[in-house]
Amino acid sequence: MANQPPPQAKPASTRAPQKQASMATYKRELRKQIKKRAAEPEINFLNITAMLDMMTIILVFLLKSMSAQSASLPKSQDLTMPNSLLTTEASQEGLAVLVSKSSIVVDDAEVCKVPADATHGVEAKYKRSGPNDLFIQPLAAQLQQWRERDRQIRLATGKDANASEAILIVDKDTPYRLLVEVLFTLGQSEFAKFHLMVMQAPKK
Amino acid sequence: MAETEKLSASQRAKVRRLSAPKELAPDEEGGELNIVPFLDIVTNVLMFVLATVSVTFTATIDSYPPRAGGGAGRTPTTKTLSLTVIIVNEGFSIKASGGNVAPGCSDTGPGIAIPKKGNDYDFEGLRDCAAKLKSAAPEFESEEQVTISANPNIPYQLVIGAIDYLREVPNPNDPQKPRRLFPEVNFGLAR
Repeated sequence: MANQPPPQAKPASTRAPQKQASMATYKRELRKQIKKRAAEPEINFLNITAMLDMMTIILVFLLKSMSAQSASLPKSQDLTMPNSLLTTEASQEGLAVLVSKSSIVVDDAEVCKVPADATHGVEAKYKRSGPNDLFIQPLAAQLQQWRERDRQIRLATGKDANASEAILIVDKDTPYRLLVEVLFTLGQSEFAKFHLMVMQAPKK
Repeated sequence: MAETEKLSASQRAKVRRLSAPKELAPDEEGGELNIVPFLDIVTNVLMFVLATVSVTFTATIDSYPPRAGGGAGRTPTTKTLSLTVIIVNEGFSIKASGGNVAPGCSDTGPGIAIPKKGNDYDFEGLRDCAAKLKSAAPEFESEEQVTISANPNIPYQLVIGAIDYLREVPNPNDPQKPRRLFPEVNFGLAR
């Protein structure tokens, strides 16, 4: 519309511009506010290095002490190893032969039963020539298999292949007669060295 | 006292803006995994394992196949002791190259060298007797072999006990260095 008045310009602010504080004051106030509003330092993570070190040492100790046992020892009433005054470390080399109250086990396989009264050794049916014989046939058969494997390994690794070694884990109540039958059969099967496993005495 | 200089509105706004605590950008936060729950679990498992696994320390006694007769296998060219300990129900019977050791371990003669003390075997008596026999002649000092035999019903624990006590004797002059007796064990077969 031609007779309309032109739009009026914005009226100038009636408030006088505020006087700015000096730069030093401004900075001082800024520092004060930053300090005041700064959040408390939050612990975002734990320093677990020391703890991990400790746990690693415990783990290594456990693994080391468990590896000191040459065979996985069955813990039962059927097999309790005898106590000894020895404090030396157990030998690691050889075939584990377990003689418990109820059976003879070689390489995790049961080879024959042990009678309740073993003062005459194992039953005559397992012997080569009657009850007075010391040679246990099923044990010898199992030993022969292992001996053949061990002989090949010893030849390949440059060790003396004439004889093998055995680790005997025998129950503490085993009669001497049964022990001798097992030792004799081992000797006949070309096992020339035995490691009799015992429970170690506490170190002084 | 000079009047405190006041900040202008724009300065106050700027101070407010600049002093506000910074928010972490999404890529800045979560840089560390929160492994505390994991550590709780691991610690509990470790404690459980330590409490349940009983660590057994084992040792081994080296030996060789048994020989029939229980004596030495070859004819000795020098004077030897050829000690043989037979565990019987009444105690320890001891044989050496001179013959059967008499009770009391002072001479040869029939009988059990180390009889039982009540119901218990006298292991210390066996050790003292073995030490005495070893000291009987200078040639015996280098001998370290013993043959052990036993009645068929003797339990394995007794055999191990005899081996232990025949191995060494405490040295009163130097407790750290016991005197070696007969650490090499052979098993004998009773005839």
